[in-house]
Amino acid sequence: MVGLSNLLSIGQAAFYGIGAYVTALALKTLGLSFFPSVILAIVITLLFAIIVGYISLKMEGDYFILATLGIQIIVFTILNNWIAVTMGPYGIPGIPSPKLFGYIEIKGIESFLMVSTAFSAITIFFFHRLIKSPFGRDLKGLRDDSISMIALGKNITKLKIQSFVISSSFAAISGFIYASYISYIDPTSYNLDESIFIISAVLIGGTGNIKGPIIGAIFVVALPELLRFVGLPDSIAANMRMIIYGLTLVIIMRYRSQGLAGVYKF
Amino acid sequence: MLTQFLINGFINGAIYAMVALGFAIVYNTTRIFHIAFAILYMIAPYLVYSFYSQAGYPLVLSSVAAIVCIVLISVLIELIIYRPLIKKKSSLNVIMISSIGLMIVGINVIALIYGNDTKILSSSISNTISLGNIIITYKQFTQLVISTLAISGFMVFLKYSKFGIKTRAMRDNVTLCNVFALNVPKFRLSLYALSGAFAAIGGILISLDVGMDPYIGMPMFLNAVVALIIGGIGKFHAPLFGGIFIGLLQSLVVWKFSANWQDLMTFSILIIFLIFRPQGLFGEKQRLV
Repeated sequence: MVGLSNLLSIGQAAFYGIGAYVTALALKTLGLSFFPSVILAIVITLLFAIIVGYISLKMEGDYFILATLGIQIIVFTILNNWIAVTMGPYGIPGIPSPKLFGYIEIKGIESFLMVSTAFSAITIFFFHRLIKSPFGRDLKGLRDDSISMIALGKNITKLKIQSFVISSSFAAISGFIYASYISYIDPTSYNLDESIFIISAVLIGGTGNIKGPIIGAIFVVALPELLRFVGLPDSIAANMRMIIYGLTLVIIMRYRSQGLAGVYKF
Repeated sequence: MLTQFLINGFINGAIYAMVALGFAIVYNTTRIFHIAFAILYMIAPYLVYSFYSQAGYPLVLSSVAAIVCIVLISVLIELIIYRPLIKKKSSLNVIMISSIGLMIVGINVIALIYGNDTKILSSSISNTISLGNIIITYKQFTQLVISTLAISGFMVFLKYSKFGIKTRAMRDNVTLCNVFALNVPKFRLSLYALSGAFAAIGGILISLDVGMDPYIGMPMFLNAVVALIIGGIGKFHAPLFGGIFIGLLQSLVVWKFSANWQDLMTFSILIIFLIFRPQGLFGEKQRLV
């Protein structure tokens, strides 16, 4: 989303978190199976994204970033303090594994690998089609020159809201996979740091095409494994990893602001 | 009881106002969303901790030394990170993202050196001043006096000194400053120095009372930004009202509900302002770019 429409949202972890919490409640409290709970997670996140989009997308630049940041913190505060539903800082333990078609239980690392691969494939295919579609061209136009887009008679607020909502529904899907795989969630996974982390992954990889964010994600996931090879003690490793992310971000912005594999320069 | 909460809120608000002013000095003039400001605020008390608790120098001397170090770091950030990007004509978004990167590095370097746990500067229970049934600790009194002095000093300078006139000129029109042969890159350094000093003073004052950990920068930075927005971007007196408004509001929330809901209130107010009055209480319509 960042790449296609030049909207830098700091609230992505909020949508991820809402997706995960809705999943947890749907699977545990309501006892729904696989498809209903995915759909519920997506629909609720979508509704929330539409409201947030209407509020925040009327603003530009720094104001938009601030608004998404505000929403991020509000969501985190609610997850952390609304003890009756989210159990607050203790998190929700023991989320049952979802059941596919009522009898196949998705459990264990292999089946989740399959599910997440399937979802990733669908996502990549979807974005591939999206970029080629007229809607994708509109979004690129919005990024490159929003004033000409207005002159061409496009409703740019509507376009922005659409792209915002689409991207948040993918955050909801990742929330679903995370919650049902780890089977335990707590609010700290969905705070501001997580949002900043998501953004740095995207920006390190680069934006404007599909390759960029994928390479960014591979980079941020592979780095801790590499550091494990170097054999740093655990207490240092986490901080060291963040230092490397930060430095990478600074260096990439300096010398290659389109990211490792992206096309779009900020 | 309510008066006590309001007084506490006011003192916190004064510090928010000072930190917000430090951010405004950079943001109003250069338009850089200087997120690395948060780590300046956070590193300052750690330096005091090193000088005072570890090396054993007197508190005032350590604080002054820490402020000087932070001023240097702030100037270096401008020199090493921001200036080359501006020379390359990078967009403000790129500069902001580098600033985020820098913040991540800063937080984790401090966490590596000092550890993730909370450190305290002085463990003694401080003496109190009682006025009727209102109690103010000496630490709070120091916070109030120093932040008031810093803010009013800056306001006087802004109004009457050459430096203040240049600052206001930078805020209004950078191109025109160039035309009138103001050495803008050099002047920016002094702005960064001043803003670093405000961050450092704020950080030290707060951590005298409640201690520090590597993550205190961001919440304070966000409060400062909210104060700035509520007050109005572009006006230097605006963050004062914004800061005190937030301070009072947060203490009211603590009084009425609990401290857990402070952030919710602050950021709801931010969003309400962004929707209905994005120019803030005192701001005029914002200049584009």
